[in-house]
Amino acid sequence: MESMNDLMERQRTADQTFVNRGVTFTVYSDTAGTEKIFPFDLIPRIIPAHEWAHLERGLTQRMEALNLFLADIYGEQRILKEGIIPTEMVTTSKHFRQEMVGLAVPRGLFVHINGTDLIRDESGQYRVLEDNLRTPSGVSYVLENRQVMKRVFPNMIRDYRLWPVETYTSDLLALLTRLAPAHVPEPTVVLLTPGVFNSAYFEHSFLARQMGIEIVEGNDLVVENDRVYMRRSDGLAPVHVIYRRLDDDFLDPTVFRKDSLLGVPGLVNAYRKGNVALCNPIGTGVADDKAMYYYVPRMIKFYLGQDPVLENVETFLSSQRDDLRYILDHLPKLVVKSVNEAGGYGMLVGPHSTQAQIEEFRAKIIDNPRNFIAQPTIGLSRCPSVCDTVIEGRHIDLRPYILNGESIKIMPGGLTRVALRKGSLVVNSSQGGGSKDTWVLADDNAPFPTPTASGPEKLIV
Amino acid sequence: MLSRVANLIYWTARQLERAENTARIVDVNAQLVLDLQSRQAADDPKSWEPLVYVSGGEEKFFELYGEKVTERGVVEFMLFDRRNPSSVLSCISHARENARCVRDLLAAEVWETLNTFYLKLKDDDFTRYAQLGSSEYLNRVKAQIQLFYGVYESMMPRGHEWWFFQLGRHLERADNTSRILDVKYYMLLPDVAAVGTALDMIQWGSVLRSCSAFEAFRRSRRGLLSLERVVDYLLRDPTFPRSIVHSVAQAESALNQIVDGSHHLIGNRASQLAAHLRVDLENTDTHAVIADGLHEFLDTIQVRLNDVHLAIQETFIDYPTAQAKILA
Repeated sequence: MESMNDLMERQRTADQTFVNRGVTFTVYSDTAGTEKIFPFDLIPRIIPAHEWAHLERGLTQRMEALNLFLADIYGEQRILKEGIIPTEMVTTSKHFRQEMVGLAVPRGLFVHINGTDLIRDESGQYRVLEDNLRTPSGVSYVLENRQVMKRVFPNMIRDYRLWPVETYTSDLLALLTRLAPAHVPEPTVVLLTPGVFNSAYFEHSFLARQMGIEIVEGNDLVVENDRVYMRRSDGLAPVHVIYRRLDDDFLDPTVFRKDSLLGVPGLVNAYRKGNVALCNPIGTGVADDKAMYYYVPRMIKFYLGQDPVLENVETFLSSQRDDLRYILDHLPKLVVKSVNEAGGYGMLVGPHSTQAQIEEFRAKIIDNPRNFIAQPTIGLSRCPSVCDTVIEGRHIDLRPYILNGESIKIMPGGLTRVALRKGSLVVNSSQGGGSKDTWVLADDNAPFPTPTASGPEKLIV
Repeated sequence: MLSRVANLIYWTARQLERAENTARIVDVNAQLVLDLQSRQAADDPKSWEPLVYVSGGEEKFFELYGEKVTERGVVEFMLFDRRNPSSVLSCISHARENARCVRDLLAAEVWETLNTFYLKLKDDDFTRYAQLGSSEYLNRVKAQIQLFYGVYESMMPRGHEWWFFQLGRHLERADNTSRILDVKYYMLLPDVAAVGTALDMIQWGSVLRSCSAFEAFRRSRRGLLSLERVVDYLLRDPTFPRSIVHSVAQAESALNQIVDGSHHLIGNRASQLAAHLRVDLENTDTHAVIADGLHEFLDTIQVRLNDVHLAIQETFIDYPTAQAKILA
């Protein structure tokens, strides 16, 4: 790298590439321009091989435990009977689906995709911040970020010997195809999107294109005799697997929300009959309820007899009396989260809030304690980032994507989100965050890379 | 192809074709009034009123602009008024929204061409139109639409995404040509005394120009401009791309391509109606049609085109699920 100017030029090249490729997301609250580019920071986040090996162990363990938990909750409910988790924590969860109790699911898999958010605390230790077991998004940015980096820094990527991320869509397609009813030789897989106005529509269409599957909206699908078909101009084509990017609530107006226009009437029955598979299955949300998160270390112990490889962040449940008192006494120091919200919505960051905002949350917590958890404000680790014309540290997190198919597969790396606003701890794309490419090194002991090019790398875009 | 996607492509094509024809009609009228200035002022309401009948939007127009027809009112209504669903801006805006929903199917350049055009057009108004002059302004609009067709033609695979586009485009064109002919005929007819005069030539010339048919007509060596020859040309010329019979034949052949390989769709209602319409047009005696009343004849054509449209919807888009063919 010759100079800051050279870096800036590459940053501009990268930004332009995203604009041209239309890598965008939609901001709900922004009425002016609905489509935005997810800001991309050129400086990669590097994860050494030994660190990644540790993360892989921890994430695999967690996925195993969560799958067993869901199997149990929609089956025997041993974990409730043995008093490890209070029954009312499950039955009061907004995402618990009574309809799914006792239902067999394809291949015995109760969850297929998890996007687990990780952070590093003050001591450099990775901790789990939350699981996303419903329709985790962001993986398209991981794939696009790497594409752009390969254009902007081709030699550097070769010299560092990275794990590739490109196999993700093939792995996902294999996982989806395997869920089809056994008697179907060549199953049809589709991606179900809420539509073009959804904030993640770019990702939906990106993944559908990469996997070569049809992207459909609810009214493209019909159910006849408990079988699902898509309406094509030449007739009804059978559908066997649905990668749905739509929450349970909207899937089927005859079962869940009656006012949903996004779903498919009769879909749940077809699913129950085993004629169509859904990914993720219905009801996974009960395990990513932020209050249930509190119990995941206990699930690991209960189902696997192991200690968690990856620790949670210290968490207080406002539904427990002692914790509630602690929370109310320490609000200005805590991060309070609504248990069912995602995307950085519905949260209070105590140290960055006004007295009025704190009092507003206090009232909400007292009104509905089950709905909130609190965590200490953690000094998220930082990573050098390009900020206007200088390089500065910015807070980051990491969302690896874990696939639970024939075996558990984790894409090397994941989405590194960065809070580009100085001092900000909120990395969500909807709240002014950006992203970085995540480099997982194949070998920590490899000799320090010698540059492939004789001189400084030249721009070849 | 998904029915919803096929329908979006079909409508994108219809909207673009309608926008192009609307621009062309305004353009020709603006030129015609210059030629007629010896008889009436350029902004005479009589020079502009017939235009609002072309798109069938007269009720909307009088509701929005009152009874007094002005050049400015008509131009705003037909080009820039979003409250008029057939205005150029409305059509382009709808076409863009439709295309946006099927963006992953379109080549990047196809989408960008339409998006850029819309972004340029959306803030235009009568002032801008008057500044540039009608001819210059409308030529730009037409050129942008032609550019889109060019990009679409050179980028899109000849699958359903192409044939549903062709289908929408040609059905809309057949309908638009019939409306232009109808309104011009109505407008020009009362002037029996002028038959064969220079004025008559100018007026029939303008009918042809509304369909960009003037030069093609001349080259077809059909001789002097006359009512019957012009009507016959626009109704029945098998080679001119904007004649009604040619447009219907194109729509028919797009339908044949769409059902190619689907045995259960051979002989579907839309294809049958289109084929009957084409054959009837081929066998039409223009002289007799004029004698019996051209307006009634064109009215029937429009109804039959709408029947084809409805049959397309029933066959490919909104078919009843219970009776639909389940594909292997």
